[in-house]
Order: sequence, then structure tokens, then C-alpha cells
Amino acid sequence: MNLARIYRALLLAGFQQAAQYRIQSLLWMLFAIIRPVIFLAAWVAVAAAQGGDIGGYKVGDFAAYFVCMTFVSQLTMAWNSHEFEWEVNQGRLSAKLLRPLHPLHYSVVENLVFKLNTLPVLVVVLILISISFGAIYRTQPWHVIAFIPSVLLAAALLFTFNWVIASLAFWATRMRTANTLFQRASFVFAGQIAPIGLMPGWLQALSYALPFWYMMGAPTEILRGGVTVEQLPLILAGQAAWLVVTLFAFSWIWRRGVRAYSAVGA
Amino acid sequence: MRKTQTPASGSATLTSPMSDRVVEVSGLRKIYKVHERQSGLGATVRSLVKRTFKEVQAVAGIDFAIERGEVVGFLGPNGAGKTTTLKMLSGLLYPTSGTATVLGYTPWDRRDEYLRRMTLLMGNRTQLVWDIPAADSFLVLKEIFRIDDKSYQRRFDDLVELLELQPLIHKPVRQLSLGERMKVEFAAGLLHAPEVVFLDEPTLGLDVSMQVRIRGFVRELNKRTGATVLLTSHYMDDIVALCKRVIVIHHGKLLYDGGLADLAERMAPYKLVAATLRDGAADADLSKYGEIVSRDAGRVTLRVPRAQAADQTARIVGELGPDLADLTLEDPAIEEVIDRVFSGDHPFGTPEREPVAAR
Repeated sequence: MNLARIYRALLLAGFQQAAQYRIQSLLWMLFAIIRPVIFLAAWVAVAAAQGGDIGGYKVGDFAAYFVCMTFVSQLTMAWNSHEFEWEVNQGRLSAKLLRPLHPLHYSVVENLVFKLNTLPVLVVVLILISISFGAIYRTQPWHVIAFIPSVLLAAALLFTFNWVIASLAFWATRMRTANTLFQRASFVFAGQIAPIGLMPGWLQALSYALPFWYMMGAPTEILRGGVTVEQLPLILAGQAAWLVVTLFAFSWIWRRGVRAYSAVGA
Repeated sequence: MRKTQTPASGSATLTSPMSDRVVEVSGLRKIYKVHERQSGLGATVRSLVKRTFKEVQAVAGIDFAIERGEVVGFLGPNGAGKTTTLKMLSGLLYPTSGTATVLGYTPWDRRDEYLRRMTLLMGNRTQLVWDIPAADSFLVLKEIFRIDDKSYQRRFDDLVELLELQPLIHKPVRQLSLGERMKVEFAAGLLHAPEVVFLDEPTLGLDVSMQVRIRGFVRELNKRTGATVLLTSHYMDDIVALCKRVIVIHHGKLLYDGGLADLAERMAPYKLVAATLRDGAADADLSKYGEIVSRDAGRVTLRVPRAQAADQTARIVGELGPDLADLTLEDPAIEEVIDRVFSGDHPFGTPEREPVAAR
């Protein structure tokens, strides 16, 4: 397969490049897990103060939820939209557009390289946090198996969604607003602030309808064992459905975006 | 395909190689919409409510065709539309109207098969990964452009030899100087042996010796691979060294398309007569033969209408004979010709008028 050969070559170059930024990558990863750890500490404290139980979540459940959430958000993270605006406005996208390979592939590889590079340290850090906060996992072996497709779907969905937002840079010189909006929405609806199960009914319903929970919350709940066998197919279907919708949206917006691209600067 | 056939050559036209047009451009136009905003707080606030756009016509409908293997110079001042045209031909930009085909493809469809057969090299552009050696970036390009191992090794060796890349290829790109990087960029853009090469300011910012080497390289590339080259440059030396044919555009319109040699004739309807006078006659008045451009000791340069150049030269020889140490008749420097056209003081297209008198 030709694409496989391209990926092998890109990954090789990517790892070689990343080797020079190893420390930087690790620091970036550690900074990124500060926020969920703060939420973890806060909820654990609140739960303990309330007698160890909030809406069915015990102290250990909160700890497990936020450890899993941290793990998932690291695995599904996508940051292309930050760089893309710069690439478009500086005309740096041109070089990529002149090659017979969709620019998306370069950022898939960049994404993989970063995650694979930081994964070992991330796992160690999360095990330590898990132990020190006394996390209780309700995970069955099938949860672990189900987690794999779920986290892959989530990563693909978040990545594609990020590209949809990035593509706005073709029209707006500053698409940061859209990005911020997305961050805020996913903060609430993806379950980063609190497990969706603790939210008021209408907010819960909204979260299940919107795409954000399927980017982070879904695999998190599966990994901590907070999902029943009956719920699983629905969750995976929701993830797949949103991925399909997002892929269509991306291909639509991208085609128009490239037409609008003015290849400024160079 | 041209359908016109004369009876005599009727059967021959079917089999004989048709004119092999690699690039065909017709009525190509590009209008940019530019968001207009005055400076100042008030204007900024207003622009939030109502955005005003100004239309800027970068390319105003141009037509030309390029045959396989030609090296064509694309001339024009800044903002003439050269780069915009190259970007359209390489598929980066969609035109506002008009058509273009390159190698039979519509460039802005950006088909993979097309991208694999052409390249756009820009002097101020970088396509290599800065943190790793170019040789490693090349391996990525090899896969992206689907170059087989044998061809890759051959081209790699060729490019390394021609561009003298051996000492550069294994250093991280960011450690290279501008000129060195440019050479490596060139190699990167040519690994897939493109049949059409668009070069935008390939020597920009390079020192003279590096410019000369890049020129030599482009010439060699054309000779070895038969690649069709369309080249823009600010440096007339690039054009003179490489291109027999030039296309001149100005304000997005095509001003001239033809031989470089004829350009001077069409655009500068005068010649320069330089007479060197012997010591005794250094003060002789030559103004009756033409407009005196410069006078330096015994050497006088005259601008003479092209049509009269031969006669006037003969007159000078006849009348000043013994006082002449030397006499030359030449075309004005190409830079000067181009400069006159672009500065707008030349009535282009009417060489029969007498610009000497008009000045």
C-alpha cells in the first residue's frame, strides 16, 4: 500500500524531528494534565466533604473518572487548528498543497508522534495519581476491549472536528474565536468539568446529542467501567455517526476553502 | 487539435508531431477581494459592522502557450501578476475566469497525477523540515511522489552532483545558509523529475556567484531532462542567461510575447551609436546625428532611431572619418528597455513613432 509507505516515511522523519524536542513534548504533556488533576482534586475534596458520595459517585469514582479523562484527553488531543491559521496566513500551506498528499496526513503523523512519544511517561504519571487519590475502577475486561475502538473513534472525531474549525482560517484571518468557542463547549459538554451523569437532565440530554461527549466523555466512562453492556453499542454508534457527519462537513468545507485560499505571501 | 488541413499535407498532419503545447492559457483572470480597513479606532469599530471590500485585479485576462522543452522568462514589475499567474498554473489559486491547461490537466483541479508531473519552486519558500537533514526529507518526498528506488537513487545522485549538495545533505536544514538552503530546496522540488517547472524568483536574495550557479543548474536541467521551464525573476541576468523567449506582463495584461532579442527592437525603437573621437576632435559636435546620451572625454554615445541607425552611422563615418578612433552600434541594455516600458514613458506598440523626438 502506497499510503502505508508514505506513513512509514513520515513517521520516521517525525520521530527524528521530535527527538530534538523530547523534553519540550513532555513538559507540554505535563502542563496539559494539570487542569484535569485540579478538577480531580476539587471533586475528591467536595465528595469527601459531602460524606463521600455525590449523585452515586464515590470519592474513588471521581478519582477514577478524572484519571481516565486525563488519559483520554491526552490520547484524543488535536491541535492542528492552532497551527493551521498561521500556515494559511503565512502561505506556508502552499508547499503542502503542491504535493500529491492531503495536508491532513502530515498532522495525523505529527499527532501520532507526539502521543506515542509522551505515552510512557503519561501512563506512569497517571498510575501515581491514581494510587495517591485512591481511584476505584469498576472496569471489566470487556470495558478494556471496548475502550480501544471507542478511543480511536473519539480521536478521529476530535481530529476531524479540529480540521473543520481549522478550515475556517481560509475565510477568517482570525479563527481563534471559533476555536475558543469549541474549547468552551467541549469543556462543559465533553465531561471535562464533571461527569455528564451529574448534570441536570436537560444538560445531560444536550450532551448526548452534541458531538463533544463522544470525543472524550464516552471513552472515559467506558475505561472506568461506568457503562453497561446495553449502553455500549449506543455509545459507539453515536461516536461513529458523529464521525461520519464530521468527515462530510470537513470534505465540504475543505473543498470550498481551498478555492478561497489566496496563497498569500508565497 | 487543429483541424485545418491542406490537401498536400492532409495525411501528414495526422501522424506528424503536432505542436506539443505543454501550457495553454486563455483569458486567464484573477480578481482578489481585499478587505479594506482604514487605520484608527473608529475605522476598526466601523469595520466590525460593515466590511468594505476592494477588488484588485491581479491578472486581467492573459493568453499564451508554451511548447515542450521551452525556457520562457516571465517579466514584469512587482505586482504585475507574475506570481499570481504561476500560482494559478500550479493549481494553488482558482482563477476568477478563463482557462488553463498544463500537461492536459486543469491545474486547480489539483489532481495527484498533475502534481506528480510539475513543480513550483519559490525563492522565498521552504518546504523542507527544518529540524532534520534534507536527505531525510527527501525520503518522505520519495514516497509522497511515488518515486521508485532506482529512479530515486539516480536523480538523487544527479542532483547532489549538479548542485554540489554532498556537504549539505546530512545537516539539519536550519543550519544551512540561505543559498545552501535554496539549492537543497531546488533538489527537493525536482526529485520527482517534473516535466513542467515553474520558478518564481529562484535567485532572490542570493549572492552573485550563487545566482550564476542556479542559472547554470536550470540550464542544465532543461538540457538533461527536457523540462519546460517558466521563470520569473527580478534579475535580468537570469532571463538573459536562460530564456530565448520572454512574456512581459504589466498591470495584469500581456504586453509582449516573443524572442528576447526582438524585445529590444519592439520596445526600444532606437539604437545606441558610440563614437570614440581622436584627441584633436574631442569637441566635435555630434548632435546633428542623434540625441546625445552621454559624453565622456572623447567618447560620445548617441541615441538614434532604429530606422535611421545605419544611415546615420554611415554619415558619421563619412563626415568624421579621420577623427574617429572607434565606432560601435548596439542595442540598448535590456534592463533599460524594460525599465522604460514599466515606468510608462514608452508608448508601447507604436515603435514607428519617434520616441527620440518625443522625449
